[in-house]
Amino acid sequence: MLILAFDTATGVATSALVDDGETLAERSTVPARVLEDVDAVLRQGGAQASSLEGIVVGTGPGSFTSLRMGLSAGRALAFALEIPLAGVSTLDALAAGAPGALPVIDARRQEVFALVDGVPVALAPASLRLSPGQLCVGDGAVRYREVLEAAGAEVPADDSELHVPRASLHAGLAGDFGPAEQVEPLYVRVPDADRRPA
Amino acid sequence: MILGLETSCDETAAALVTDDARIVSNVVSSQAELHARYGGVVPEIASRRHLELVVPVVREALTEADASLDDVTRVAVTRGPGLIGALLVGLSAAKAIAWARRLPLIAVDHLHGHVASLFLEPDAAEPPFLCLLASGGHTLLLDVRDHSGFRVLGTTLDDAAGEAFDKGARLLGLGYPGGAEIDRLAREGDAEAYDFPVARVPGLDFSFSGLKTALLYKVRELPPEELATRRADLAASYQRAIVTALLGRTSEAAKQIGAERIAVVGGVAANSELRVGLPGAFLAPLPLCTDNAAMIASAGRFLEGIPYPRYLALDAYASLAA
Ligand SMILES: [Zn+2]
Repeated sequence: MLILAFDTATGVATSALVDDGETLAERSTVPARVLEDVDAVLRQGGAQASSLEGIVVGTGPGSFTSLRMGLSAGRALAFALEIPLAGVSTLDALAAGAPGALPVIDARRQEVFALVDGVPVALAPASLRLSPGQLCVGDGAVRYREVLEAAGAEVPADDSELHVPRASLHAGLAGDFGPAEQVEPLYVRVPDADRRPA
Repeated sequence: MILGLETSCDETAAALVTDDARIVSNVVSSQAELHARYGGVVPEIASRRHLELVVPVVREALTEADASLDDVTRVAVTRGPGLIGALLVGLSAAKAIAWARRLPLIAVDHLHGHVASLFLEPDAAEPPFLCLLASGGHTLLLDVRDHSGFRVLGTTLDDAAGEAFDKGARLLGLGYPGGAEIDRLAREGDAEAYDFPVARVPGLDFSFSGLKTALLYKVRELPPEELATRRADLAASYQRAIVTALLGRTSEAAKQIGAERIAVVGGVAANSELRVGLPGAFLAPLPLCTDNAAMIASAGRFLEGIPYPRYLALDAYASLAA
């Protein structure tokens, strides 16, 4: 199955063209330019848009605006190419790139997105339950390195590839391909207006 | 056919327009109810809703037209101005559709779109004309000499006219969107009852923020039981002040550029007092006055399409480009 995968939830946009588990091309850029990378991985992999058989999109959590750019593109591509879409959590993809590691994404406002008991949540980095030597990866781990290391965790060097999601891993994790609108973003947080007291 | 997409504020819209300006389908999914409890558009809520609706409205526009993407030759999308997060949802979808089908993409300015709502059949207006664009987001006087653009003569220095209606409606305890509510209540009131002066600013610009403050003071001054009986008078007087400002500046602008014809577009064009005050003006049909995608596709007819792959790098812009 020829799959195009991309994720724009974090500050880094990653795109990959994967055929039956084999990565034909992979690139990264910023979320606003993800479709340029999509175009490039297809050309690099010698494929046509019309030969794609499935789209995989990262569902976050991450920055709301850039997350939506990816999801909107993913849904529209699946619709226009008449092929199925699958969503993969950005946290799951990060974890797949660093087995045993805890994925930690910067959620701004002094919080991080992380999986707690398998559920994505937003919480203060100091509230993460970390066992000694626990490897933490992701832009949240980099940003809150001091807090996490003080709690006993290990964070790879800032420039380690382990901190960046890779779309080829999304492609490998994708399970449920279906209609475009069924793939939902993981916002985790409610919109600001709904937080204010009524 | 041109597929138009519009997501700059709180309407998610898709439309199909033929190369000879006929609307084949025009689907608008309004979020007004969603934002009503906040008394205005909440950007994050709007963007979330756009993402949910953008593909469904395109699907519906095609179904309504009994067409498929094979019939689409160009994709036109609003690039700005508007809420940046909202614009990016539509722009990403439009780029993706264009890329998937190897179609050219047309980047449309939202304001040009409003003007181009007048270029749609069966009653297409021909430039040149002076155009008053008054909506919840904009209040502008535009010198329209041809189909492909405009020159800004004046704009609001603070609130838009539609915003002034919304804020006034909130102060009077009316619903959202406020324009229609005030218009309705104003019919039962005396427009001469209160004197709401409109700020005189230089040139052809507008200012509505002082007006809202004046209404706030009036509402505070009145004892609650009297307020209930004077609400219609307040609404009528308040509306009169907004409309007087719009009409005054429009006729000054017309004189200044020697315009023989005047057009009014944007949601405020629905206001009955404004309509009465501009006899003989070009008025787009009401469904085309508020944000829609047919007007975006219409503007696209007069613009160069960006070929593949150049549009992939295109970004949205939040504020006025002119
Ligand atoms: Zn508008």
